[in-house]
Amino acid sequence: MLETIPGVVVAAVIAAALLAYYRLRSGRPARSFADGGTASVTVGLTGTEKPAGLLRWFTTVDHKDIGLLYILFGTAAALWGATDAMMIRTELLVPETAIWNVETYNAVFTTHGFTMLFFFVTPVFTGIANYVLPLLLGADDLAFPRINAIAFWLLPPSLLLVRGGLITDVMGMVLGVLPLDVSALEALEPVGMGWTMYTPLSVEMANPQISVALLGLHLSGVATTMAAINFIVTVLTERPDDLGWDRLDIFSWNILVTSGLILLAFPLLGSTLIMLLLDRNFGTTFFAIEGGGPMLWQHLFWFFGHPEVYILVLPAFGLISLILPKFCGRRLFGFRFIVYSTIAIGVMSFGVWAHHMFATGMDPRLRASFMAVSLAIAIPSAIKEFNWIATMWNGRLRLDAPLICIIGGLSTFVVGGITGVFLAAVPVDLVLHDTHYVVGHFHLIVVGVIPLAMIAASYYWFPLITGRMYNQRLARVQSLLLVVGSFVTFLPLLVLGYEGMPRRYGVYPAEFITLNQIASLGALVLGVSVVLWLVNMVQSARVGPVVRDADVWNLKETGQFTREWQWFEERLEERRDGSTRPESSPERTRAGEDTDSDSDSDSDSGSD
Amino acid sequence: MRRTHRAAVAAVLFGVALAAVPIVAVAGSGSGSVTNQLIRRLNRQLLYLAVPIAVLVEVILLYTVWRFRSDGNGDAEPRPTRENRQLEITWTIATAIVLLFVGTASFHALAHPAVSTLPNGPHGGQEPGGAPEGAVEVNVTTEQWEYTFEYLDEDVTTDDELVLPANRPVYLYVTSEDVIHSVHVPGLGLKQDAVPGETHLIRTEPTETGEYRLYCAELCGEGHPEMLSTVRVVDEDGYESWLTERADGDADSGSDDESGNGADDGSDNESTDRVGGGP
Repeated sequence: MLETIPGVVVAAVIAAALLAYYRLRSGRPARSFADGGTASVTVGLTGTEKPAGLLRWFTTVDHKDIGLLYILFGTAAALWGATDAMMIRTELLVPETAIWNVETYNAVFTTHGFTMLFFFVTPVFTGIANYVLPLLLGADDLAFPRINAIAFWLLPPSLLLVRGGLITDVMGMVLGVLPLDVSALEALEPVGMGWTMYTPLSVEMANPQISVALLGLHLSGVATTMAAINFIVTVLTERPDDLGWDRLDIFSWNILVTSGLILLAFPLLGSTLIMLLLDRNFGTTFFAIEGGGPMLWQHLFWFFGHPEVYILVLPAFGLISLILPKFCGRRLFGFRFIVYSTIAIGVMSFGVWAHHMFATGMDPRLRASFMAVSLAIAIPSAIKEFNWIATMWNGRLRLDAPLICIIGGLSTFVVGGITGVFLAAVPVDLVLHDTHYVVGHFHLIVVGVIPLAMIAASYYWFPLITGRMYNQRLARVQSLLLVVGSFVTFLPLLVLGYEGMPRRYGVYPAEFITLNQIASLGALVLGVSVVLWLVNMVQSARVGPVVRDADVWNLKETGQFTREWQWFEERLEERRDGSTRPESSPERTRAGEDTDSDSDSDSDSGSD
Repeated sequence: MRRTHRAAVAAVLFGVALAAVPIVAVAGSGSGSVTNQLIRRLNRQLLYLAVPIAVLVEVILLYTVWRFRSDGNGDAEPRPTRENRQLEITWTIATAIVLLFVGTASFHALAHPAVSTLPNGPHGGQEPGGAPEGAVEVNVTTEQWEYTFEYLDEDVTTDDELVLPANRPVYLYVTSEDVIHSVHVPGLGLKQDAVPGETHLIRTEPTETGEYRLYCAELCGEGHPEMLSTVRVVDEDGYESWLTERADGDADSGSDDESGNGADDGSDNESTDRVGGGP
């Protein structure tokens, strides 16, 4: 094998390695820093000092760099998953299989689910938390900077493993032209068992790519768990002494609870996936009829799966709670009750899993008790909504893009939340379960709330991360489009569900065509909105007007100039002074904030 | 001033209540079977509660945005936030009361024998037997990607459609030969997953004659979206004559109806007049 590799290739590899080594040595800052040694001289995309090239991004352990990597990775995954979504909506334009066959359609909605849940939402929130959590806390970095880096770098390979079927297909087609044996590549087809991977279907499907995807999911679970442990330890131990639990900001609270859920839920998913892998490849009988039975899978999967729902949405709630008050000119209403409701959701989310299984023929007495908890979990969600509205009441609302996103998110959350109550009511769920109603319900939240909160955050912190400002008018238009698109896409699905159209149908009876076409039209609006956001972000990061005043959102006026913005102000000053102090000094940051709060009792309200 | 304010509030509330009517109408009235009547009635009750609440919260949200928006000059200063424990407790309890109503109403529907059935089998399933006199008992067996309907006591087995008599108790024993499927008849308000190795009972009583579409509602592979069939509810005479016809037809098995099942059946079945729950 070795001798078949041409000497030129070996020489090139060695030369590249040497070059990389010397670049690393010469490019590395002379000093070592508290956050793990090779922290970059600057952070962000538009630092005045140039970073040490591409290598910096592969070796960084700086939480801000890793945060950006997470966000970029998550965005790339989101675009990939959104492409799947557009493929789904295109196929559903007509009742027949006009564009993709049923097999491809099944694969597309399966990978859409995997990509969005495991590689878009959680990585993006991890990225945002990576960037701002230490700043909000006033910590140097996360507790374990290197674990942070490992957790991130496990994600790209796991995404490739999960989505490999498509990649190998393309590779097979390209390599197939050459005189090579590509049968191994062609054997791997995109996985089509649905993201819930119900046994026995997922055991019996022959496609070897399913096993590869299971490994990928397991790996991503490991990565997610590592990141969660890092956040928990950071919040617990890296807070400065004067930052008690009562003053911890709302976003950190949400990340803490989310990480707790991850810590309890993801290892279970990991073991369950391994059991499935063994059933598929080594003849074990965990989920076989003569063994544990197919219901075991559903119980284990949903015991992970329902907390997962809140793992996705709690960080979004945290962002809403954090950003909303900044544009209302007053502190968050009912801070304590929002924290309590977050914790309540976290605890209760482990007691509702069987509401995904009401139609499986469970004992009705068991169903009734799961119904009770599932209804009860609506209470903390409602409390949040009411508190957010109360925050706006008596405020002064500056209708900038972040606030438009958040108001839009609140309005979709009302519909998305209340439709969920119907699904908690067992008899109603019996007719709606596995119909488009369910799809409409959860997409109103996973599209109508989560990306809106992310985009609100992207606009809110864009100046802090890039040092530039984005096009605000375009941002407002984009936010509105996203809100309108969510309603237009997902409200028709609710009606379709009432009319009985099951989900996961690539071909469907002809009478459902009108509503499906309206939904596809809405998806197009969503697509346009996403493209506008992307263009705005990329173009503004390159040539947007440079920010000179750190108080972009007039937060000082209302006493909400929180830690991360103080850090940004210092950084701007350092840059202006031409100083090259590489590390932000948390001591100084906190000192500055303390004098602020002396002069203004409302200061630093995000953490009150 | 105060009076016009109140009038406005009353008008908004009235409008909100009115908004519930068309939406509830869209969601459909219950008919077709006892089960569907129960479920749709519960659904209607919940909608009469949920739609006004949803519209009210949305209106309050938009009103808040409109009233406190900043127009650049001459805005009122934002008032500092003060915690209001009473308000918090009030809306927590109010939400709890609403959900308590939802829970109670749902529980009443759930407890009805046409909605849920208690297990009698070893694995929480329900084995055939125990049906009262006069009930129609059918074994519904699913496999990729078709259904088999076996009429107990009648020596009739079909695979193209499920024919049921109106106004008689029906016991369907649902199971699967391979992967998980789901028997989903929205027009009759029925859904039960078909789990291999387990048998589960659907108990209902059709009340209106007509044709209802039967979907598979659990992803079961490539043929999933084409795993459709029909439930035809006929009157007692029609049922009896169909049974006799079928019992004779079974002798020369696989006659003219063999092609009807599965792939090319439901998607272009124009005669299906009662799909979904719509009126």
